[in-house]
Amino acid sequence: MTDRPSQLGRWYVAPGAAGPADGTLEQPFSSLQEACERLGDSPTLSHARAAEHDEGRVEILCIERARGEFAAAGQPTHAYFVDPFTPVEGNGSERKPWESFPAAFAGLARLAREDRLRLAVGQRIEISSREVFTATSLEKWKSIKESIARYIFLAMALVCVLPVVAILSFLLYKAWPALSIDFLLTNPQNNLTAGGIWAPLIGTFFLVLTSLLVAAPIGILAGVYLNEYATDNWLTRIINLAVMNLAGVPSIVHALFGVGAFVHFAHMGRSLVAAACTVAVMTLPVIITSTREALSAVPMSFREACWNMGATRWQTIRTIVLPNSISGILTGVILQVARAAGETAPILFTGAVLYVPIADAGWNYVLPYGPDDRFMALSYHLFALSTQIRGVSDELLFGTAVVLIGLVLLVNSFAIGLRIYLRSKKKW
Amino acid sequence: MSSADIDSVQAPPRSRSPLRVFHMLVDLCEPLVEWIIRICGWSAILFVFAIFFFVIREGSEMLFGGIDFKEFLTSPNWRPDSVVRPQYGILALLTGTVAVTGLAMLIAVPLGLGAAVYVSEFAGPKTKETLKVIIELLAAIPSVVWGFIGYIVLGPIIIWLTGAPVGINVLNGGIILALMSVPIIVSVAEDALRAVPDSYREAALALGASRWEIVLRVLFPAAKNGLLAAVLLGVGRAIGETMAVLMATGHAVQIPKSLVDPVRTMTATIAAELGETVSGEEHYGVLFVIGIVLFVIAFAINLTADLVVKGIRGGQHD
Repeated sequence: MTDRPSQLGRWYVAPGAAGPADGTLEQPFSSLQEACERLGDSPTLSHARAAEHDEGRVEILCIERARGEFAAAGQPTHAYFVDPFTPVEGNGSERKPWESFPAAFAGLARLAREDRLRLAVGQRIEISSREVFTATSLEKWKSIKESIARYIFLAMALVCVLPVVAILSFLLYKAWPALSIDFLLTNPQNNLTAGGIWAPLIGTFFLVLTSLLVAAPIGILAGVYLNEYATDNWLTRIINLAVMNLAGVPSIVHALFGVGAFVHFAHMGRSLVAAACTVAVMTLPVIITSTREALSAVPMSFREACWNMGATRWQTIRTIVLPNSISGILTGVILQVARAAGETAPILFTGAVLYVPIADAGWNYVLPYGPDDRFMALSYHLFALSTQIRGVSDELLFGTAVVLIGLVLLVNSFAIGLRIYLRSKKKW
Repeated sequence: MSSADIDSVQAPPRSRSPLRVFHMLVDLCEPLVEWIIRICGWSAILFVFAIFFFVIREGSEMLFGGIDFKEFLTSPNWRPDSVVRPQYGILALLTGTVAVTGLAMLIAVPLGLGAAVYVSEFAGPKTKETLKVIIELLAAIPSVVWGFIGYIVLGPIIIWLTGAPVGINVLNGGIILALMSVPIIVSVAEDALRAVPDSYREAALALGASRWEIVLRVLFPAAKNGLLAAVLLGVGRAIGETMAVLMATGHAVQIPKSLVDPVRTMTATIAAELGETVSGEEHYGVLFVIGIVLFVIAFAINLTADLVVKGIRGGQHD
């Protein structure tokens, strides 16, 4: 889109003017028809013809004789087009331009004769001949539409993101007075309506740790199997489908599975270890998928080189594949941690409870839960505080929520940061 | 080089560190290690079957004989605590799930697809990376936090805006579920759009199409399978969501007549009532049967999404 084409000529029309006219401000034409006919025919006005093969515009202004010239800025009231490069039977519109300026004047004269074009005082006709590569108004409209589309999509993206960011900021604002180290390190008191969140926090820590111990080895080895051993056959397809399903099964169904399998069938009872196993099964797909991605990023040539040295498949995995992908695998494990820390439904009936008294000092303060104990967890604590306990102060409530969100987002950001860093450091 | 030369090459001195001994042992047991890896690889199948098996096992008494399936599926009366005659009809719960999920998808699908288009087609590299990270972080927010937001933050806002008697209702649950499923829809849809070869875009550009036209006439048709999978996974997430709907949709077992009616979904029912029941009683068994229904729905959705995605891969070869 360039600027408007430069002006080549300007003639004036003053209705009712008498005497000799040459279109100048001093001697304007008396009517539009006269102007067009004279401009089209007169060899004396041949500089209009010179414009024929150039880009530029000519204007015809209608003035009141007494007042002289007026500002000719802004959009013309009538716009016509000339395009010498695409000669068609034109009518002066943008899609069907005239082929030359004389043709344009002839066309305009005809319009004026047939009284289809009138020029009132103060109005202006512009006839422009455009350069081949400038934007037509059609193209301008297209680009406007495109930027509208762009802004609509931007708005949709922002609608997905901004409300949540606003809500999180609101939560942080409400929780701010409560947040302190003491809040983290104090046990809940007074029927959970006062104190801090140490007991649930440490419960979540042990839950995550135990589930990690179960899920990480199985998940990593499953990822190794899928990437290094599995061939593209029906069994692999079924495994992939199973991994996808494991991720897609509703969390409450995982909870039912935990109750059926770990609490009752395996006689673990409602305990930390039963809850951890349930959470481990649930978060297994996270580890499997990221391990797989990390392993598949190791170039095949590394493995081939190692095999050529006579190493077996397992030796190759142990000495080449795993060391080269360990950080990627770690990312998956960290994501699992974040996921496990936030889960509530699977631990509802498998071991988390509303309140377990733990000591405010000593060993029991740091290691309060054995594997067979019921435990408090941060996510369940938040659920209980907001729906089951009356008289909880806003600070305590929002503080608990913000600590949980902060914990999960922090761990997640760490994983994402690690991933971005690794990508930038990638040597192959 | 003869074999004698090779033999004469001095081997480097071997360290006898414990780690090295361990590694040697591991290498000796390679078949064993490989079997362990194989079993772990199959574990996903094992776990899916185990989930199915154990949920059916706990619900077996009700599933095989104890339950009147006609009543179970068609009656809106969920009265498990009735002393005279407990009734287990899940129609109202099913309607609740459908209502909340449907509303959530009405909001989340257009927004999610629009956001995916923006991220994949319009955003510059920096914006793109930032938005993707933010969306990934949003996906990580735990469901109990979403429930908390619905219950504590959104509820009062809805009461204030609509004058509804309770703030936790279909509308609240729908909005919360929409915000929860948007990240998964965006990330899967963005993958699908990125999978469309650039040559398609270039061909359309060469024909004079604007980017808007490219999105509508080229990308959407080319990526339709992936986009469908994105929507399906969003639906799957919304149907299976438990804590958020438990806290944000209210507790009234009823077929909703308006947007601001409180409802109860299937997942929320299990979460709310399993704690009150004892293993072996009717109510307990019925909750597991609902679990089976949920499992089957989730399985069907995931299977469909998988088949649909496989459809893209098949289509890309021709």
